[in-house]
Amino acid sequence: MFSYFLRRLFYTIPVVLGVMVITFVLFYMLQKPDTMARRMLGPKASPQAVENWIKQRGYDKPVFFNTQPGGNLFDSQFFIHLKSLATFDLGVSDATGQPVLERFKEGAIPSLSITLPAFFLGIVLAVSISLFLVYVRETKIDFAGTIFSVALMSIPVMVYVIFGQWFLAVLLKYFPAYGFNLEGFDMIRFLTLPILILVIGALGSDIRLYRAIFLEEVRNEYVRTAYAKGVSSGSVLLRHVLKNGMINIITLTVAALPMLILGSLVLETFFGIPGLGNMTLAAIQTSDFAVIRATTYVGTLLYLLGLLITDFCYAMVDPRIKLQ
Amino acid sequence: MPIPIFARNSPRVRIIGTLFFIAAVLGLAACDNNPNIPPLHKTRPDGSPWVVTYRAFLDDPRSLDPQFAYDEVSNGVNSNIYDTLLTYDPLREDYVLQPMMGSELPVFEPHPDGTETVTCKIKPGLFFHDDACFPGGKGTEVSSRDFIYAFQRMADPKVECPVASTMADYVVGFGDAYAAAEKSGRFDYDAPFPGIEEVDRYTFRIHLTKAYPQMKYWLAYLFTAPVPRAGVEYYDGKVHNGVRRPFFRFHPVGTGAFLLQDWRRGQFIRLVRNPNYNTIRFPKGGWPADVNAQLAPYADVKLPTVDEVQLLVMREQIPAWILFRQGWTDASAVSKDVFNSVIDAKHELSPVYAARGTKLIKDLDLDTWYLMFNMRDPVVGNVKVRQAMVLAYNANAFNEIFGNNILHLTDQILPPFMFGNEPGFKNPWRDTNLEKARQLLAEAGYPKGIDPKTGKPLEIVLDTQADSATSRQMADFDRSQFEALGIRIRIQENLFAQMLDKQMKGRYQFLSAGWNADYPDPENFFALFYGPNIVPIGHNQSMYQSPEFDRLFEQMATTDDTSERLAIIRKMNELLLVKDCVVGPIFNRVTYRLRQPWTPYFVKNSIVGQYGGLRFAVIDTRMREQKRAEWNRKNYWPLVITFGLVAAVVAYGIRRRSQANV
Repeated sequence: MFSYFLRRLFYTIPVVLGVMVITFVLFYMLQKPDTMARRMLGPKASPQAVENWIKQRGYDKPVFFNTQPGGNLFDSQFFIHLKSLATFDLGVSDATGQPVLERFKEGAIPSLSITLPAFFLGIVLAVSISLFLVYVRETKIDFAGTIFSVALMSIPVMVYVIFGQWFLAVLLKYFPAYGFNLEGFDMIRFLTLPILILVIGALGSDIRLYRAIFLEEVRNEYVRTAYAKGVSSGSVLLRHVLKNGMINIITLTVAALPMLILGSLVLETFFGIPGLGNMTLAAIQTSDFAVIRATTYVGTLLYLLGLLITDFCYAMVDPRIKLQ
Repeated sequence: MPIPIFARNSPRVRIIGTLFFIAAVLGLAACDNNPNIPPLHKTRPDGSPWVVTYRAFLDDPRSLDPQFAYDEVSNGVNSNIYDTLLTYDPLREDYVLQPMMGSELPVFEPHPDGTETVTCKIKPGLFFHDDACFPGGKGTEVSSRDFIYAFQRMADPKVECPVASTMADYVVGFGDAYAAAEKSGRFDYDAPFPGIEEVDRYTFRIHLTKAYPQMKYWLAYLFTAPVPRAGVEYYDGKVHNGVRRPFFRFHPVGTGAFLLQDWRRGQFIRLVRNPNYNTIRFPKGGWPADVNAQLAPYADVKLPTVDEVQLLVMREQIPAWILFRQGWTDASAVSKDVFNSVIDAKHELSPVYAARGTKLIKDLDLDTWYLMFNMRDPVVGNVKVRQAMVLAYNANAFNEIFGNNILHLTDQILPPFMFGNEPGFKNPWRDTNLEKARQLLAEAGYPKGIDPKTGKPLEIVLDTQADSATSRQMADFDRSQFEALGIRIRIQENLFAQMLDKQMKGRYQFLSAGWNADYPDPENFFALFYGPNIVPIGHNQSMYQSPEFDRLFEQMATTDDTSERLAIIRKMNELLLVKDCVVGPIFNRVTYRLRQPWTPYFVKNSIVGQYGGLRFAVIDTRMREQKRAEWNRKNYWPLVITFGLVAAVVAYGIRRRSQANV
């Protein structure tokens, strides 16, 4: 297993390198340093101020290789970019000058305070509903539930945000339409609505998936045996189908766990949650290359970590799978 | 044994269900929709209520360093934290300067050699905010040295002051100090700085290389706001005794009415009253009669009038509007999404909002938007083509379609209330006249819009920044206006970067552009057409070059606001807008803003309204509580219906399955 782990780690290196190169190239195709400077300093900034901004951030260095006489070949923007990411030096925000790592630390908790409860609540709810649909399978409720799930899947998350704000904050006035506070019990007021929206946004596809997994289980021989022995439907579903179905569910969902830290772009912006999603969207809007670069890099690493965990989970929960 | 959830009507299920329902109802009853974080205190030390004002803010500030920040959001915050030597009279629409930290208006003294000295006197007894950067945590008294230090910081390349090059043009030794710091990599703050002379503790002189009356406006701009050297050096972003101090740009120490208490990025900024503030006081009167009853008790009181300001960072307009509707914020912009439901056809509040007591504020912005031509282009470089195009443009239709009919249509480049704007000025090319436009086009060599070289309609490229559906619709509108002349307009969509590049390099034929003034002086607008300012050195993007205009500009720029100056401006308008038709002025923006009934408003000019107006905020907290309670009564019936429906579906399903099993 250890050699498998090492091998997988080794495989991640070209992927990470590829992402670093693509991010750099794409960004330079779209943004020139003087445009970034003008965005930051304002369109009225003098050419001297623009030049100074570029110089202060090292954007005046050669892009790929430094071929200037007497210059170090690798003293270029690209190699500085690679080196800083490889050493986890995420640099400072182009827009604010704040260390990006500091922003990540500040933003991780607010993002997780929304995504983590939504993740677990979503699983519990989707498993419960899908199990119920399996229980009432081939009835009108099952049919209606399936249609309802497809409808939920088809609605963009923005609609859930606007509807959630309108229904629960404007019409019913139960929760704030905006804002965030993690202090004491007040957090319940602020977290409930965004969490509900995240849960409902993902519910449709989860129900469809989990229902399919449970239906697959229900058709197995051991379920028929259990019924033949006179075990009630409820017990069969809860004791056997749920347990075996959860193996698949856990292995499928665990890959998403590391990504939860990055939060949700739309939701965080609409609710003013100062998480990493909000930070990323602001960085995109202001062309803050340093933050975009760091977010992409961290996102890549987290995604690869998720895939690695999934592989290990498969091996742990299914004795037929061996990591070699 | 596990709980048989699917068992038939188990009493345990019913108990759990009932408990869950009760818990949910109690939980919801305990919740409310107030989005604001709790205020720092409920009462002041004297027992009176602690007053908070809540505002929505478009974004986080980029920097709270006054020598660096140049964007509206940052300056919107900074103007409440930092004071300047001068400010604009909040009761005048025409941008009249008055002393703020200064004890009097600066005195400009021209010298025979063409140089000028500006003597500035500051009020004694003004202090920086109390802060850990000072000995004992007590803010030190502001002196001339602090103003000099602000100018030195502007000349420090590491501060990245965006107007450093402007200052280098006028302040003695500024450019040299900048160059020396750039060369050595470090600005020597202890070295002599010949541009600003410390006369005494409360007097300093600015030495200018040439006459520059506009310096007075810079003294009202945040770039020249005094900052404490102790604060800049203390907040260096480094670890001291195991604790990392923030950077100065995130921990401002100023002299303003408020100090920064808390800034959570993407969430809110909390300012609190500066208890030592005594720079200016609430006006003694002069506000509109309809707010007199609410404002009279505040006449000449100590500022600020509120104890705490919560600026909610809201990048999206929909939630910002919801909070205003619910009474959780005290003021709001009128976004285009809600414009028609809030403003009626007569440009007044709709009856629904008038009945709520909402107040509508209309601010004429200090900007002008116009059609701009590239004077070096062989086609639109022809004055008759430009005149024909401006004549063909129907600004009224534009206003109707894109401006909700609230834009202020204009014939001139200088916006209203600025010296030099003449309400009677008539631009002969601004009244739509297609007949005359066609005639001019024919005189330019393009009869019926046909290019004689090709025998086809003349093609002109309109560059536009394609960042929204609206900008595309505007480009289509522009095209339709000019194609009425028989010419063909090709719309070239650009990304922000491409557009900027074209403008800075003069690689375009014509486009729609605008200028938001830095300060209310005609020089700030006419500089856009001054020959030596041609891009990329300056902002003359039309690349207009006229020795006569340049001579008038130089004369106008150094003349005081007298009839002589007005006469020069008339000549400049004649040249720029009539004879050469370099631009076709279209409109000045009018910003509609809303205030809640509990916060009366009196500020008459957009500069104070936008920057530093919070120090004058007045809140009737009792009325606010009353209205909030009235507007935020909870509804429970939809919840009961939802729970009932879910329970019915589950019960029905279980019953059906149970029957099937039987």
